[in-house]
Amino acid sequence: MSGLRFVFAALAAFAFGSATAAADIKLPDYQAVRLDNGATLLLTPRKDVPMVAATVLVRGGALADPAGKEGTAGLLAEMLSKGAGSRDALAFAQAVDGAGGNLDFGSSSEALTANAQFLSKDTGLMLSLLADALLRPAMAPAEFDKLRKRAIDGIASAKDSDPRRLIGLYASGWLFRGHPYGRPAGGDETSLATVTLDDLQAFRRQQMGGDRLIISIAGDFDPAAVTAQVRQAFGGWAKAEGALPQVAAKARESGRRVLLVDKPGATQTYFSLGNVGSQRSDPARAAQDLVQTAFGGRFTSMLNTELRVKSGLTYGASAQLPRPRHPGAAQITSFTKTDSTKAAIDLAIATLDRLHKDGLDAATLQSARNYIAGQFAPSMETAPQLASAIAWLALYGDGRDYIDGYLGQVAAATPAQVAEARAVFPASGDLVIVAIGDAAKIRTVMQGYGPVTEMKLTDPRFSP
Amino acid sequence: MRLLSIACALALGTAASAAPAATPAPAAAAVPGSEAIASKTLANGLKIIVWPDHDIPNANYYTFYKVGSRNERAGITGLAHFFEHMMFNGTTRRAPGEFDRTMEAAGGSNNASTSNDLTIYTDWFPSSALEAIFDLEGDRMANLSFDPKVVESERGVVYSERRSSVDNDSMGTLMEQMQATAYVAHPYQIPTIGWPSDIERWKTEDLKQFFKTYYAPNNAVLVVAGDVEPAQVFALADRYLAALPRQPEPTPVTTVEPEQLGERRITVERGDAQSPILAYAFHSGIGAGSKDYPALELLTTILAQGQSSRLHQRLVEREQVAVDAGAFAEAGFDPGLLWVYAMLPPGGDLAKAEALLDEELAKIARDGVTAAELDKARNLKLSAFWRGMATINGKARALGTAEVFEGDYRKAFDEPAAFEAVTAAQVQALAARILRRQNRTTGLLQPVAAPAANKEGV
Repeated sequence: MSGLRFVFAALAAFAFGSATAAADIKLPDYQAVRLDNGATLLLTPRKDVPMVAATVLVRGGALADPAGKEGTAGLLAEMLSKGAGSRDALAFAQAVDGAGGNLDFGSSSEALTANAQFLSKDTGLMLSLLADALLRPAMAPAEFDKLRKRAIDGIASAKDSDPRRLIGLYASGWLFRGHPYGRPAGGDETSLATVTLDDLQAFRRQQMGGDRLIISIAGDFDPAAVTAQVRQAFGGWAKAEGALPQVAAKARESGRRVLLVDKPGATQTYFSLGNVGSQRSDPARAAQDLVQTAFGGRFTSMLNTELRVKSGLTYGASAQLPRPRHPGAAQITSFTKTDSTKAAIDLAIATLDRLHKDGLDAATLQSARNYIAGQFAPSMETAPQLASAIAWLALYGDGRDYIDGYLGQVAAATPAQVAEARAVFPASGDLVIVAIGDAAKIRTVMQGYGPVTEMKLTDPRFSP
Repeated sequence: MRLLSIACALALGTAASAAPAATPAPAAAAVPGSEAIASKTLANGLKIIVWPDHDIPNANYYTFYKVGSRNERAGITGLAHFFEHMMFNGTTRRAPGEFDRTMEAAGGSNNASTSNDLTIYTDWFPSSALEAIFDLEGDRMANLSFDPKVVESERGVVYSERRSSVDNDSMGTLMEQMQATAYVAHPYQIPTIGWPSDIERWKTEDLKQFFKTYYAPNNAVLVVAGDVEPAQVFALADRYLAALPRQPEPTPVTTVEPEQLGERRITVERGDAQSPILAYAFHSGIGAGSKDYPALELLTTILAQGQSSRLHQRLVEREQVAVDAGAFAEAGFDPGLLWVYAMLPPGGDLAKAEALLDEELAKIARDGVTAAELDKARNLKLSAFWRGMATINGKARALGTAEVFEGDYRKAFDEPAAFEAVTAAQVQALAARILRRQNRTTGLLQPVAAPAANKEGV
């Protein structure tokens, strides 16, 4: 057992991941190869350690899950490695582990993902395993039954664990209620129970194919050999039969509404306050990131200073600003012991009000610039980091300047632009609120913030 | 979703992976750039190790203090961890909060962690901030002060941390109870976060004594890795750290845990839980510097790493009694625990899971491991070694842990060869020695119907 001074930054890693780029930090040279079937191969050779990394994306992802069958893409992603090519599930796992490699399949909202890292000498094995999994998965019924049951049981198990890991699922479900972004990418206990192997097969036909494929390789490898093998292994993959999922942006909400998730006996309340925020292509990205950093993105942020450093109400308070293709959430999250629930939420709201009223002084703004610049390089240090960053640039259709030019924008953002960018965080009258805690003890407090909808943590969904 | 408590235990326990002292002169791994590593010990006893690496224009500054919850006693449990928090809360030169404000304004960030054995402070920063970092670190090593108001406020912060990682987390609660049961004499029985009543009561006097005893240059190792030159680091150390006074050596921890004479079983009942958990904690008899440490790591790797591992295949895939199963070994200054666990689905059968787990553990002790399994485990370890060597952060951690646990940072490079040298017979013998019922604490987390009164401070 150990204690850490501070973990919220790690839990909010995705929010930080977008706050990138240092003035003289640029992506290394990489080469893009277009295959005849529309697949994109990205090659970033880099001699460092004798390992090779791959990020593979197949456009589509959880947003293409059929309604009521959330988690289809996620189950399919996991099924890809449960036997493929000539190997059954155990043989496939032995091939990966036996080489000391790792190969993880998953699904995000916009793509099925595979992240792999192997010793350089096993580059060929890594690519052949990826090709088998993507093109020739066994899709065995017995494996599917096990996987689906385990996914459902795993959610119940997660609900017995640190609620810091859960608040985000409830927060996005409640903020994006009725919108595709509110559907849990991994599914919930109810939706997973309805997914069948036929649904996975249908998803595979509709949403997977060579025209959707992005393969990004970084590290110590031979580009000519890899290109030849990728052409041979993936060049014949046919197109996906269906259309990419289309999503309309959700508008920001007015007023407040509260979801109270009852965890009887909880000694602490976990809360989020949010509204619709920013998107991948937001032209104010750099200025918004400066605001997010100073408001809730580092240890000395306004939120952490008030709720932790000055008052001792919590172990951590932060603000996140994830950027999906369309605007995602702009939100504050923290937690506090049950009887200080009101004090902590009030203080978070007062701090939000202060951001809008007073803004950032010149010293804080400069500090935030330095912080973003100083923390950028380690996010682009390793082959897996580069493979991933370059793959996602391709998925979103961004050029390398999205990363290479970023720190220049951070340096150039004017005080007026930063002041304007505060609006990415909502006014305190317009908050979509979630609290996980002991409802019997905090119900009255939560009613003070707006109309309350209530559910139990043990309900088999992440939204009411 | 991973368990935070296990992730932390892994990061801080087994990150101390280090090679044995007594393998037959294996060749050290040739890590590019490692020939440039330089070290120096100041007159006050502070050991400094520098790995210049200019891949990115950043560096880190790691201070390893040889103090953790192992150095505590009843009444001050959790003090090492609380002290870690107080190291950020003001000196005679700087007000509370100034340390973080100055560092972040210079582009740096920091964190710290406490385990049974160590308290580790880390700064990550652009290399242009190197002198500012030395100024901040030298100041808090020399001039730490304790504002009573901040002490009180920080108690609330730590208690909040405890509620999340232990009280409101099934695995965290179970592991704390098991650790306290597995050790009857050695201070490894103390939870690093501290018992609630101690969190509420420790005094400023306790902190002052703790600082003087343990936060001495001769009880620390400093590692800097990244875009720096050794001469530059040594010059800054002379300027900012050389004047720190050496202190008497801390009282050594001499208690040896007596041999366990039979199984200990505990049950934790939780009214707000759905999923049962089964866990074993075996005394491994092995510390980080032991010659058996590489064999211990290969044993837990074969049992639990990857989907092809024995425990995953048997409990999760074939019998489907568990959602997740795992194993890992702690390795610190003194002999630690080998943990084995199975997370069950709601309504899961604990007795069946226990019978299957027992069978698997008996099998590895009785029949040993295959050549293919041994190769797999070595490859997994080799990959992990190179992943660590891919970042300046991993490099600093590897050097620091080898230095504090084995007295020589160079041992970090012996690791792959040490794993190569382990034989199947050694792994089997170790399994037979450790994985015995008489040598274990068994912990059961059982959901119960009525919500238990999770009263604080009890």
